[in-house]
Amino acid sequence: MKTFFKALGNLVKKPVTTKYPFEQTFIPDDYRGLIGFEESLCIWCRRCEAVCPPGAIVFSQDMEGKQTYHYNRAVCIYCGECVRACPKEGALFQTAEPGHCALKEENINNGWNKLFAEALESRELYAAEKKRKAAEKAAADKAAAAAKKESEGNSGTTA
Amino acid sequence: MGKQYEIPVGAQHIALLEPLHFKFTTENEKIINTDANVYYVHRGIELACCSKFKFRQVSFVVGRVCGLCSISHTTAYSQVAEKLLKIEIPKRAKYLRMLVIELDRIHSHLLCLSHVAENSGFEALFMKTMQYREFSMELLEAVCGNRIQYDFSIVGGVSRDLKPQIADSIISRLKTFMPQLDELMDIYQHNWTLSLKNKGVGAITKQQAMELNLVGPFARAAGLSVDVRNETEDLLPWKEVGFEMVTETAGDVYSRNMIRLRELYVSIRIINNIINGLPEGDLITETKAFPEGEATVRLEAPRGELFYYAKGNKTQVLERLKIKAPTFSNVAGMVKGFEGNEYGSAPAIIASYDPCLSCTAR
Repeated sequence: MKTFFKALGNLVKKPVTTKYPFEQTFIPDDYRGLIGFEESLCIWCRRCEAVCPPGAIVFSQDMEGKQTYHYNRAVCIYCGECVRACPKEGALFQTAEPGHCALKEENINNGWNKLFAEALESRELYAAEKKRKAAEKAAADKAAAAAKKESEGNSGTTA
Repeated sequence: MGKQYEIPVGAQHIALLEPLHFKFTTENEKIINTDANVYYVHRGIELACCSKFKFRQVSFVVGRVCGLCSISHTTAYSQVAEKLLKIEIPKRAKYLRMLVIELDRIHSHLLCLSHVAENSGFEALFMKTMQYREFSMELLEAVCGNRIQYDFSIVGGVSRDLKPQIADSIISRLKTFMPQLDELMDIYQHNWTLSLKNKGVGAITKQQAMELNLVGPFARAAGLSVDVRNETEDLLPWKEVGFEMVTETAGDVYSRNMIRLRELYVSIRIINNIINGLPEGDLITETKAFPEGEATVRLEAPRGELFYYAKGNKTQVLERLKIKAPTFSNVAGMVKGFEGNEYGSAPAIIASYDPCLSCTAR
């Protein structure tokens, strides 16, 4: 009987559901949203890339050694581990903005996999180039030192 | 002897929430034999944790084992990793972990209760319970920043602090929830239509519960007082925050409902105690050590005892990680619980077990 009267009362009550498109649902102030990046503060230590569980951050490198930050919001799990690992305050930060949907044109999955592989490759290429240049420089230094020694030796004999 | 029929339920079925397959042998609508098959959603998480991910990243991976008891998995893994690293975490981190585990228990138990009501054919009560459950989801979102995957426990402590205004809102929201919980208790206890589907259905005796090694609310409903919170004190100080064992004797669907509802009162008391007595201090213990040796951890998830085993070899990647979820322990009891019941009661019985197959199969 109690249930019956309650059911009657419910007929005149307002709906309890939130009118979503017209009223915003509850979002807390420190909601875990998109990761922001401030390039001017970054010290390029790549610690965020090392700790990221799903691999949503990757740095590519051009032949001059300049690094570029890449972030994929579809791969990110918004755990904030990169922000905790960042040694420079303010370079990486977590915003309260929810990650928005990806469009087909963005090619967010396959495109990211390709970009990730290319970024790692670019770093390897730069490292190899650096190594080659260092070896070249060392060889040149060695040759120069040898030449100097020889010339010194020659001058010693002539003197 | 009448004619016997075999009725399959699952792995996809409208009355089932989980990818679980039961094969019932029925005779005149009575279930006389049951076969269960649970491994439909194997995802290879254990292997991934031991090969692809570093040990600090694994706590985020195991959080994805289960959506409902995400915090139990992350906390259990964090504890086992802390044992391997031989570190002690700050007391504030322990209290915050307990706070989120109890908030998680509230939402998980209310979800289970609502599904029991739905599968018993009481759709309005399902809606009502789900409506009252929403506050716990919003509180979890405010505390952890996310509704489902909390990522709150990390190796060495917790990732976020509890803000004073959020602590106040937890206390006030729990105060408004109390009369709602009393109302739910009244309906689940005294509603006549619900009692027809719940009382004396799917019963398990205490002796059977002991023999089949059941855990969680399933065992406590049969009168077996098993609760990890009552047995361990070293990792999380449960008794300090006012934990109390709840048991029933009948072991049927009704007493499982009662166990869950009465545990909610205990959870609310624990949360209030935690917030009132939250110690000051750091959130995390930093260390540069690597995991070494072997360790095991037990933790009371909403569904029962969760067991973690890990082995480290002084490298970034673990050598072995083993997860034993509570539902895995309960499968034998589930099969037993159907015996002698009508086939029509099977959905309500399955919901009352609160099975979590994605935990079990990982």
